[in-house]
Amino acid sequence: MHGTMVPSALDSSLYIPELKNRRREAAVAELVACAHRAGAVRRPEALIELIARREAMASSAPGKSIAIPSARSLSVIESRIVVGRSTRGIEWHAPDRQPVQIVLLVLSPAECPLSVHVEGILRLAAVFRLQRHRQRLIEADSYEAAAAVLREAMA
Amino acid sequence: MTSRETLLELHDLDLLLFEARDLDAGARLRRAGLGFGDPSEVEKARARVFEQLDPRWRYHYARALTRYGGAIASVRARVCQGCFISLPRSAAPGSGESLTLCESCGRILYWGPREPS
Ligand SMILES: [Zn+2]
Repeated sequence: MHGTMVPSALDSSLYIPELKNRRREAAVAELVACAHRAGAVRRPEALIELIARREAMASSAPGKSIAIPSARSLSVIESRIVVGRSTRGIEWHAPDRQPVQIVLLVLSPAECPLSVHVEGILRLAAVFRLQRHRQRLIEADSYEAAAAVLREAMA
Repeated sequence: MTSRETLLELHDLDLLLFEARDLDAGARLRRAGLGFGDPSEVEKARARVFEQLDPRWRYHYARALTRYGGAIASVRARVCQGCFISLPRSAAPGSGESLTLCESCGRILYWGPREPS
């Protein structure tokens, strides 16, 4: 999911302008359900459990109101990024204790090389470490606006 | 849990442990504030799931994992995504099954629910 892969990993049906849930686990389930409805994943319950296992072992919130949970799994059909916003914020146990306002769920099929999967996560982390990119994504009120920010920022 | 579900869970746990143990990925993720912690809980879960497997599948899984670093390959458009050979129609699982072995590479094939046979 390096730079050139990002446009194909974006999809208008994979955007939640306002996440309903304010708990991390429920927000992840909401994002996975969105990916399932869009046909990007199968076995959503197993995928939610896998993401929870990764969350328990690794940090997915580097701070600054961003979280990048991820999964590489047989349950993922195509590489996708599911984008969710929460203007109220989600408690994500980030090191700076800030609630998360942008969640970028990175999904890769099992056959995606680990290096490509990790590169996608790191690229998103690097891009959204910058305040101007974060702010633009938080303010994006439609999929088109959010996709434009992602495409531009990751070009 | 069926053998199929157990195998799929095992494979996902192995992919996660592979990521957690990869030194290069680990160092890069840590620098970005996304580092891995102790994998022991996942290792224990993996051992439990492996024990639940039917001995026949345990054998095929362990053999392909040792050989390739990944034991299950999904099937897309009747092509094994492990060795990229086109699979004959006869390789598709019968009704009530969804796992078979690739006759070319020996990986366990995962035929997705919508994969045409
Ligand atoms: Zn094969």
